[in-house]
Amino acid sequence: LSSINRQAAELQSKAVPSKQVIHSDNIEMEPETMEIKSVSEYFNKVHMGTLVYSCKKKNK
Amino acid sequence: HVRYRMEASCLELALEGERLCKAGDCRAGVSFFEAAVQVGTEDLKTLSAIYSQLGNAYFYLHEYNKALEYHHHDLTLARTIGDRLGEAKASGNLGNTLKVLGNFEEAVLYCERHLEISRELYDKVGEARALYNLGNVYHSQGKSLACTATQDPGEFPEDVKAALQRAVDYYEANLLIVTDLGDRAAQGRAYGNLGNTHYLLGNFRRAVSSHEQRLLIAREFGDRSAERRAYSNLGNAFIFLGEFEMAAEYYKKTLQLARQLKDRAVEAQSCYSLGNTYTLLQDYEKAIEYHLKHLAIAQELRDRVGEGRACWSLGNAYTALGNHDEAVHFAEKHLDISRELGDRNGELTAQLNLSDLQMVLGLSYSTNASVLSEIQDTDTSKNVARPRLSRRHSMENLELVKITPEKFQVQN
Repeated sequence: LSSINRQAAELQSKAVPSKQVIHSDNIEMEPETMEIKSVSEYFNKVHMGTLVYSCKKKNK
Repeated sequence: HVRYRMEASCLELALEGERLCKAGDCRAGVSFFEAAVQVGTEDLKTLSAIYSQLGNAYFYLHEYNKALEYHHHDLTLARTIGDRLGEAKASGNLGNTLKVLGNFEEAVLYCERHLEISRELYDKVGEARALYNLGNVYHSQGKSLACTATQDPGEFPEDVKAALQRAVDYYEANLLIVTDLGDRAAQGRAYGNLGNTHYLLGNFRRAVSSHEQRLLIAREFGDRSAERRAYSNLGNAFIFLGEFEMAAEYYKKTLQLARQLKDRAVEAQSCYSLGNTYTLLQDYEKAIEYHLKHLAIAQELRDRVGEGRACWSLGNAYTALGNHDEAVHFAEKHLDISRELGDRNGELTAQLNLSDLQMVLGLSYSTNASVLSEIQDTDTSKNVARPRLSRRHSMENLELVKITPEKFQVQN
């Protein structure tokens, strides 16, 4: 019985993670920044003027 | 619907694609952008914007080869029409995509191009973004080199450290500009990634102060995802500082937010971290409590890898408490799962644990005992019939890491 107890004690000391545990090494990064091009923005800037102009011309 | 598509102009289709992507439906957005490309346009700037957005949509859909293709088209077009800003943006997007694909050398070249043109155009915002992207490329490169080694953070080979140090330099250069511009959101991102890079370099105190800044900014914006990330990263840093109580406090906050955000995978991750932290604190009852919670979610998400880790951890914790019956139960489950996953290390560890436990229980035990093999065989075939596991993204990065700072040995 004493030998089993001794083994149990040994086992317990082995399980104590003095050196090794599974560590959740899961660092969480920030999101990427992608560069954005937009058709609507470009359209508003460049085409709106000419389109409005041609519409007005057609209406006349 | 079909007639509408045929009659709709390229521009209309592109505008609809843009609207859908902004609303978060990239898949539908892609089909409208591709239809727009099919219809075609003579306005090369419009076409460039379509290519760019297609590239980004595929990036967010994790279809990186498609993203690469469209960002390449965009770059070619931007160069053809002499659009410098457009060229800078396309280069930046190409750099980010190449980084994700693991082509770090080329990624650096494109990100440097982005930086160079932004400086030429005195575009401070573009310059800062290029610096952040360069930091990210070097961080990823360092991490990818470190994966081949099995050291702890702070104990990596020189090439890994060199890449990570470059990342630090770029993040700090980025921080100077975005602080000057008063761009708090960009500062938050830079602090987060700077903190993670310091962590990998083993500068745990600096990691903590960066993540504290990140936390502050996340709270300013009410950005709970960023807040949760900061808590989790703070927990990791405190583990390596040997301050386990602090780590537990931060992991608990992560868990709380994960539950609020209804993210089961992150909730599982937090429980697992807490289980490990309480193991380090030698509070095995609490460790078991959290590992059981982790196990339950892993089973729910059909994450066999996570389940195996939970069983291994539970086996150890029950052994530490002297509850050998439960320990045997989980060691057997661990063996089972390791075999199913073809994880040789896990299998050997489980077999060793089992033979130790059987010895304590006073039973003769052999790892190739026929009864045991039979049990495993039937279990394995049963498991194969189950639906395939879908690994949680957050669990894929979990590694078996040896923690050996002197502090731990002093404490134990």
